[in-house]
Amino acid sequence: MLNQSLHSRRELLRRAGCGFGSLALTDLLVREAQAEVEPDRSTQPYAVRSPHFVARAKRVIFLYMPGGPSHVDLFDPKPRLVAEAGQPLPFEKPKLERTKTGNLLPSPWKFSRHGESGVEVSELLPRVSSRIDDICVIRSMLADNINHTGAALQMCTGEQAFSRPSIGSWLTYGLGTENQNLPGFVVVCPAAVFQGAQLWASSFLPSAYQGTLIRDLNKPIANLADSSGDLARQRTKLDALRQLNELHKRERAIDSQLEARIASFELAFRMQREAPEAFDLTRESTSTHKLYGTGEAATELFGRQCLLARRLVERGVRFVQLFDAPVNNAWDQHAGLRENLPKRCQAVDQPIAALLTDLKSRGMLDDTLVVWGGEFGRTPTAEGNNGREHHPFGFTMWMAGGGVRGGMVHGATDEYGWHAQDNIVHVHDLHATILHLMGFDHERLTYRHSGRDYRLTDVYGNVVKEVIA
Amino acid sequence: MIRRSTLDRRGAAVSIAIVLFVYAPLTAAAEDDAEFFEKQIRPLLVDRCEICHSAAKGKTNGGLALDTREGWRKGGDSGSPITPGQPEASLLIQAVQYGDDGPQMPPQEKGGKLSEKEIAALIEWVRRGAPDTRTAAAKIGGMTADEARDWWSFQSVQSVEPPVVQDASWPKNEIDRFVLAELEERKLSHASPADRRIWIRRATFDLTGLPPTPEHVAAFMSDSSTEAFERVLDRLLDSTAYGQRWARHWLDVARYADYHDANPKARQASCELTEAWRYRDWVVDAFNDDLPFDQFIEHQIAGDLLPSPTGDEVYPAGLIATTFLTNGVWDRGDADKEKIVSDMVDDNIDTIGKAFLGLTLGCARCHDHKFDPILAEDYYALAGMFYSSHILAALGTKGGEYTVNRVPLVPAAVVEKRGEQVTRINEVNAKLAELDKQTPKPSDDDPRRVQLIAQRDQLQEALLPEPPLAMAVQEGGTAGGLFPKIQDVPIHIRGSYARLGPVVPRRLPRRFAGDDQPPITSGSGRRELADWVASSDNPLTARVIVNRIWQWHFGDGLVRTPNNFGKLGMAPTHPKLLDWLAARFIEDGWSLKTLHRRIMLSATYQQSSRVPPQQVEQDPGNEWIARFSPRRLEAEAIRDAMLFVAGKLDSAMGGPAGDDFTITRRSLYVQTARWNRSSYAMLFDAANPDSSTERRNVSTVAPQALMLLNHPFSQAQARHVAERLQHEVPENETARIEQTYHLLFGRPPTSKEIDIARQVIAQGAATGWVDLAHVLLCSNEFVYVD
Repeated sequence: MLNQSLHSRRELLRRAGCGFGSLALTDLLVREAQAEVEPDRSTQPYAVRSPHFVARAKRVIFLYMPGGPSHVDLFDPKPRLVAEAGQPLPFEKPKLERTKTGNLLPSPWKFSRHGESGVEVSELLPRVSSRIDDICVIRSMLADNINHTGAALQMCTGEQAFSRPSIGSWLTYGLGTENQNLPGFVVVCPAAVFQGAQLWASSFLPSAYQGTLIRDLNKPIANLADSSGDLARQRTKLDALRQLNELHKRERAIDSQLEARIASFELAFRMQREAPEAFDLTRESTSTHKLYGTGEAATELFGRQCLLARRLVERGVRFVQLFDAPVNNAWDQHAGLRENLPKRCQAVDQPIAALLTDLKSRGMLDDTLVVWGGEFGRTPTAEGNNGREHHPFGFTMWMAGGGVRGGMVHGATDEYGWHAQDNIVHVHDLHATILHLMGFDHERLTYRHSGRDYRLTDVYGNVVKEVIA
Repeated sequence: MIRRSTLDRRGAAVSIAIVLFVYAPLTAAAEDDAEFFEKQIRPLLVDRCEICHSAAKGKTNGGLALDTREGWRKGGDSGSPITPGQPEASLLIQAVQYGDDGPQMPPQEKGGKLSEKEIAALIEWVRRGAPDTRTAAAKIGGMTADEARDWWSFQSVQSVEPPVVQDASWPKNEIDRFVLAELEERKLSHASPADRRIWIRRATFDLTGLPPTPEHVAAFMSDSSTEAFERVLDRLLDSTAYGQRWARHWLDVARYADYHDANPKARQASCELTEAWRYRDWVVDAFNDDLPFDQFIEHQIAGDLLPSPTGDEVYPAGLIATTFLTNGVWDRGDADKEKIVSDMVDDNIDTIGKAFLGLTLGCARCHDHKFDPILAEDYYALAGMFYSSHILAALGTKGGEYTVNRVPLVPAAVVEKRGEQVTRINEVNAKLAELDKQTPKPSDDDPRRVQLIAQRDQLQEALLPEPPLAMAVQEGGTAGGLFPKIQDVPIHIRGSYARLGPVVPRRLPRRFAGDDQPPITSGSGRRELADWVASSDNPLTARVIVNRIWQWHFGDGLVRTPNNFGKLGMAPTHPKLLDWLAARFIEDGWSLKTLHRRIMLSATYQQSSRVPPQQVEQDPGNEWIARFSPRRLEAEAIRDAMLFVAGKLDSAMGGPAGDDFTITRRSLYVQTARWNRSSYAMLFDAANPDSSTERRNVSTVAPQALMLLNHPFSQAQARHVAERLQHEVPENETARIEQTYHLLFGRPPTSKEIDIARQVIAQGAATGWVDLAHVLLCSNEFVYVD
């Protein structure tokens, strides 16, 4: 069986070299991978793999707001902040404080109920509000670190201090990806954010599972041939390369690595033809561009990011993580809350709503999990007179699509928005839930490193069953 | 198992106390009793009770042990504290609730009352009948005393005689007898010797990370003397390229990085690793000089405490070597400074454990080791040594960066003198500025100005050079931290500095270094630690390094988990060979070069990688080493080999790393930046510098092919190869193709290969030769070594 499949692949490559045409080499490789029990990750790192059980979601788009978006100004209304504005927090703050904050600061913005569900959302996010019946708002998030670096690492990798694989790496490791001509895990992050690449690193997982970083949307993938003339010349060279590699292999024992390397050059060649198309936003209709707001200055950047995310997941990319980062820590309103938070909201509100609308109209929202949030929330108390400090003790994130119950609120903070109180969802629980929706038992998706089995949730994590439809 | 109805549960809950509101009964119902114990109760007992009630640790206050099921069943002075099923009747519950009469546990000095949630969990546990999965004998960490005594890697290195083998003609040295004995027992046959061309290519890449030159291959092919192999090894081991190659192996283990930030403009000096390169250069020199490995270890753990061998006041190599401890990854963390310090301590313990001992000591940070005989107490006994040393000069303000400790590599008097010189220059400059402020401004030839300028120039001339600095660790705790001096530290409950338990005296891990250790009376204790780790009596150290060297030669170690020789590691395939090598290594004065020679002159190393398929099928993982495993070159070797055959490689030694991989220096000198994962080296599986890397992954992905096909760097090397050959063999096309093969692959081409080459040259027209060079640089043969 194994020999047969090796043989057929060899045959395939031989034919592939002679007249490549439209032969779907990679499709065949993927199908072959599916037929085998467990394709070898060292030679076929991206082959599609089955999860532990039937998944609700097949892909994830993580909308990451670096800096820490303010929960009490966006998704977690607190009338007591208004009633007791300017008064001290009536209980002791946790010992772990970054800087001393002052008294209670009510949200300058109004909240109102939306959709059939009547979930309350701030006036800063009118378009997201209109999609609220697709959204599950988790108001009881809890994280452990008060700094951007540690908290962002925890949100993206589960660990605050040391290097661990990111959630996108775990999922591509677990599931492979459905389009062999594109990276399986794509990160779009225009500015350098705190802790940078560690947030999408594969750490001790093979580097194939690392997030592919796109900084410049106009030049998304490194090392693509520049012109069709280059491609034609390259094809001639690749034909010679294949012949020489076959001669080299003939003298050696069956070695899947040599096979894999031959295939990698063919895949690279195809990627050069497919990737530019996938990243080319000009192929979208005017009405789609209008939907995402790519023509407006305020929404152009994140609009293009969201539109790209949809194009990528549509083409089988497993995990897309978008950072709203025109600059580092755009959501870090220590000061200038009244001016800057509306700006950020304006930049993302329409694009995010468009993404949800677009996915839904294409029938993709059912099995695409969209996650929104940052590394923590912000203090209900004031920093200076127009800012809020970092706040991991209770904050909001939301999920939509991918098997999540829309139009619901899960959990709550206390009356002041300080401590997560009811149905607390720790970052580890969120991770366990995302893995669950993707078909994994988070305790069984493991990797042996330095003699120990590691997992995304370390020794923690409970699936939040209540948010699953 | 009896399952009570939810109603019963609620009934029981209400009857005890309102605390059960915290513990949601529905969640409890869903949980299996054993799992409930493992998740909720066992960690609680370990963290909060076993400090004083553990038979394994020899502390059973009140005669009570809570670390085994038998312990609490038997009970202590007041009988059994648990009446299964009846929380109200259980002394344990009364004690943790801090009842008015009777004991209050845990006492204030051991961290005080449990949280409401923890108390609720204990009540629920007793109510369920106190299910307890701990049936095994008392353990030290993860092993019973017997297991720990018998564990292979914890026993002294055995002196073993090489076994007798049937086929006496094959072995070239003792290594081969160990290997052959296993093959004979399994009825496996070894491979035939590799072709000499293959051997010299293998050996040259292995020792220098570069291909052999056609001249070296030719010389070796025509050397029919018995010393031909030795001569090649001597030449390679004497070359500086050897240290440049093997330093990189060690840097993987040492989680080395040149910088945090890849962008030179964004590097903030106070926390950046601007002097890390001195450590890298010291490692290169240590390999090239064959510094005995025990000294290599001592320098890295306690080099700042070593006397200068030349009697000088300052011992630069000692200070520089401790960059091993200071070049870790930790949150730059702007607020929680104490956590940074505890993470640094943890990084040091974890890295030393893995790198030198093959022990995952770091696992005992939050609790006793789950698998190996290492207690949290042992961990904090070591932690005291690192809390009593400092990596940071200053913690920095809340919201600010910390400052890495930088130590001048010249005597204090020189630093002082230079300080005075700078002060005087500043004084003269101030006078000059003063002069300029006068109105009217004195002219350029004003005598006062002329005199001041002359004075300044003179001072400038005599100014001593800026003292070189090393990122060194030094004695004494972190100023402004929780533990600012040399001191013992308390156990951190669950690894958190915010919950401290009893203080543990600084000492070495008890299971390994014994109960009767002399107390550490002066200094941090790093010196004692270094001596113990680098001792020939330590059962782990020599085995661990010998195994690493084996792995770097063969691709796999005799133990295939080189950072973990504990229970979760893999057992050695050839335990006797490992011990024999370790014993000889110590006898040879911990000489790595002797070890290289021994391994590479063996028939085992000289085997061919090409064997019939059925031989591969008999041992697919090549555990029994009946052939050589072909290997893909590492990121550094691929790049260096490209530059080398292009005739462009700059083999200069040392100095700060270059920022861009398109420079022509060896890859060792291209920066590794922790915050950049998009580098060329990472694309080809370079080590992740965040923690000790025991073995690199080998991945094969399309972006690697794209890089080799389209990046200007690889295209430039193809051009350089073509130009070089055009220059070396201007006329004859076939001769030039042949020379290309000799240069790139160390062999002549076959006629079929010549045909293919001719086609590429013809089709490419003006770019034909560049195309051919490019194709060959991309070929499997260029990056795979047989």
